[in-house]
Amino acid sequence: MLETLSNLGLGFAVALSPAVLLYAFAGCVVGTLVGVLPGVGPLAGISLLLPATFGLDATRAIVMLAGIYYGAMYGGSTTSILMRIPGEAASVMTCIDGYAMARKGRAGAALAIAAVGSYVAGTVSIVALMFLAPPLAEFALRFGPPEYFALLLFGLLVLAYMSGGSMLKALAMAALGLLFGMIGIDQMSGYFRFAYGVVELGDGVGIVPVAVGLFGLAEILATAGQPTPPAVIKPRLRELLPSRREWRASAAPIGRGTVLGFLIGVIPGSAHIISSFVSYAVERRLSRRPEEFGKGAVAGVAGPESANNAATSGAFVPMLALGVPSGPIPAVMLAAMMVHGVSPGPLLIKQQPELFWGFIASMYVGNAVLLILNLPLVGLFVNLLRIPYPILYPAILVFCILGVYAVNGSVVDVWIMLLMGALGYVLRKLDFETAPIVLGVVLAPMIEMALRQSLAMSDGRYAIFATRPISATLLAVAAVLLLLSLKPLVTHTLDWRARLALAEKGEGHP
Amino acid sequence: MKIIRAATLLTLLLLVAAPPAGAQDAYPSRPIALVAPFPPGGVADLTARPVAAALEKVLKNPVGVVNKTGAAGAVGMQYVATSKPDGYTLLLALSSISIIPEADKLFGRQPAFTVDQFEPLALISADPTILVVPADKPWKTAKDFIEDARKRPGQISFSSSGVYGTLHMAMELLSHAAGIKLRHVPYAGAGPALTAILGGHVDALASGPAVVLPHIKSGKLRPLAGWGDTRVAALPDVPTFKELGYPDAEFYIWAGVFAPRGTPESALARLRGALREAVEDPAFKGAMDKLQTPIAFKQGAEFQRFFETDARRLAEGVRKVGKIEIKK
Amino acid sequence: MLTTDRAGGAALGVIGLVVLVESRKLPLGTLHNPGPAAMPVVLASLLLVCGVALVAAGGGAARLAAIGWPEWPHAVAIFAVCAFAALALERLGYRVTMSLALAFLLGVVERKSVAFTLVVALALALGTFFVFDTLLRVQLPRGPFGL
Repeated sequence: MLETLSNLGLGFAVALSPAVLLYAFAGCVVGTLVGVLPGVGPLAGISLLLPATFGLDATRAIVMLAGIYYGAMYGGSTTSILMRIPGEAASVMTCIDGYAMARKGRAGAALAIAAVGSYVAGTVSIVALMFLAPPLAEFALRFGPPEYFALLLFGLLVLAYMSGGSMLKALAMAALGLLFGMIGIDQMSGYFRFAYGVVELGDGVGIVPVAVGLFGLAEILATAGQPTPPAVIKPRLRELLPSRREWRASAAPIGRGTVLGFLIGVIPGSAHIISSFVSYAVERRLSRRPEEFGKGAVAGVAGPESANNAATSGAFVPMLALGVPSGPIPAVMLAAMMVHGVSPGPLLIKQQPELFWGFIASMYVGNAVLLILNLPLVGLFVNLLRIPYPILYPAILVFCILGVYAVNGSVVDVWIMLLMGALGYVLRKLDFETAPIVLGVVLAPMIEMALRQSLAMSDGRYAIFATRPISATLLAVAAVLLLLSLKPLVTHTLDWRARLALAEKGEGHP
Repeated sequence: MKIIRAATLLTLLLLVAAPPAGAQDAYPSRPIALVAPFPPGGVADLTARPVAAALEKVLKNPVGVVNKTGAAGAVGMQYVATSKPDGYTLLLALSSISIIPEADKLFGRQPAFTVDQFEPLALISADPTILVVPADKPWKTAKDFIEDARKRPGQISFSSSGVYGTLHMAMELLSHAAGIKLRHVPYAGAGPALTAILGGHVDALASGPAVVLPHIKSGKLRPLAGWGDTRVAALPDVPTFKELGYPDAEFYIWAGVFAPRGTPESALARLRGALREAVEDPAFKGAMDKLQTPIAFKQGAEFQRFFETDARRLAEGVRKVGKIEIKK
Repeated sequence: MLTTDRAGGAALGVIGLVVLVESRKLPLGTLHNPGPAAMPVVLASLLLVCGVALVAAGGGAARLAAIGWPEWPHAVAIFAVCAFAALALERLGYRVTMSLALAFLLGVVERKSVAFTLVVALALALGTFFVFDTLLRVQLPRGPFGL
């Protein structure tokens, strides 16, 4: 314990020197800039900017990369809130209530809460990472395909149990999204599915073009031609910051989001994406006024944003403690660190403590620098909404195309975004929610792969799900949830979903 | 309406008009693109960047890395195969370049490209894979492993980077050489495959030495044998399958630079010379050293022979694996 | 009565059917060794069931005819501009494509003045290229003449 603290002191001594701080700042600025591009989140941001750090020494490079990482992460929530363009799949939930808040003139508050939520989540996760990394990492590695399958199934049930609106329509949209996720080479057998000769579809439909199309582009298509364009919002200074009521409403969601996100994030793989969806669902279920969700609820921004940030920090646990590339973002970070001659793992902590603790300290510093940098910028960003919509939307379009293209250098992705934009527009007119589609696209390959890997492991025996303790526990809890959600059918009482529907209806006709 | 018509006409004209051939100055006179068919941060990208930087110095002409990703590399490789052979579009390919067209053939697909569409310029690195098992498994030597696998066909499992991926092919070559049958659990990439064996979810993995070395040192994994012609420098006690009497189990994860076939000989000669100089660059050597990837530079007939032998071996491997059997 | 739910449900049902038919080309596998067609078949059946259920139960939703489409000319124009951008991006290069697309949207669709259109279109196209390609090294396509 004492040793940890003194080591951390050593790390901070490195990370707080003026030259290194400058790199942290530069990283945050650059990361935010790139992160503003739709689709370019922390993953693409680090990848794109990695070459720029080649000339630097290891500590500076890693501090700068940490800055880029946090900057890119935050840049994504900015566009989600201001323009309803998700920077990545995990920001989809931020789009919904963040943008609704912005349209009500609370963009500043939403941005500030997102920034503070991310900061708290990031900092708490780093503390957890410091003290819990080795035991947690060992536990995380026990998540093999069967556990993963059980977890994803559990997550889906939580979402179904807690999401509002028409269950049937949400289910249909999720099925559609899951089907989109089936496109591409089947990872288990090598068959090309539904690609019709388009080689670019081999890796499947990207999450970024789907999310940007369904949310960003669809919004533009639906709004640009309205006879009365959206009002120009002129923010006043005192409205920039969240009110006391808004702070109070977001404190608990930030806390819950942090814990939830960190725990999901520790598990190897890409499951961290569901953390923001689950957090949103949990917040709506716990909220005293669930009918506000979707219309600008503060908790709907605070929870998912914190969960998202904590999840990606959690993903660093197996990487730092064991040197395992446990997910896409840690894999890129791992490669980046290797380029600079640092290979994380149990040996790193013992042999090069100054580098390990320097990394931890630079994550703290990057996180803090970002907050210091961004709170004043909230005022600047919000002023973008002063631009009349007929001039703003062509610019947004340019950013959408640029961002979607930049991720893979692929025009096919731009086409996918376009088709998804058209689909999202029509679905919106027909009053269907599009968030489940995004979730489906993300989850489909993971669920299918986990199921078939488990069966390959067990030679086709389904007993593997019941004989492994973690998966058995998760599946049992999932079964209980399923029964709970069926209860109202048997007892003929109104469950909370029905009450919510009544409340929403009541709002329309007071 | 006039404006719309004029605008449409103008754009159509622009789209139809072929880009004019630039002035034919001495090669190179404009930026060269080195296409990495995998995302940034992967082996191809991390090798391409120092290569590009060193080439830039030698040629005194900008060389940029372009990531054209998708379909396990097929997108980027197809892009280069069909691009104009003028020496301004080069490819940094991995071993998978010989696997993809074979797998396409197997499934009766129009191949995205064939290996004949490329002119090999230089081999940059070649790393043999090594066989690792979790340290708590009973097998102490490759012999134990193979004998046990003979006794229990289809019971010992291994993870791979994906069906027909490099790590899968290495294991299949061994299976055929030793006459054993293992249970294949594919993962989505080499990273998850490594995570799987560290978590104890599979029994074996064929992997490049650099990524498993730290885990061998920390005592979590045990190396049994290597697929190389010679032993891996960092693991002098680990025998090769060749030494153990399985000469057909030879496999390398390699990276090489290719140009589209039809590139003018003058440009090819210039590039070959430049690559030879580039690998001697200290900055390049330093970068490859950090990645723990030994440089294995080969050119001309030597690379041609290496490439052709490797392609033949892999093509045969893919055919032996055949289509994954699934009931209709 | 044709409602939004019914129209949507019918369309989803059709998609489900199409996928079911298309999946016949792929091997289905067995319960213990599912093939590449297994998951698509399950999902498409689910979609089909949802679609049918929506058609059956969707009588109470808003009427399809009641939806106004006042924004469709704009939507079509924007969609066309994006399609043009996708076609032209790798042929004309980023700067030319985006300048043209922006100029069309601002000048023709939104009827801004010529001077304003030109200035904003060029500034945005060139500015974003400079920031992202030149400064931040995000690779963007170049067209003929190196533009």
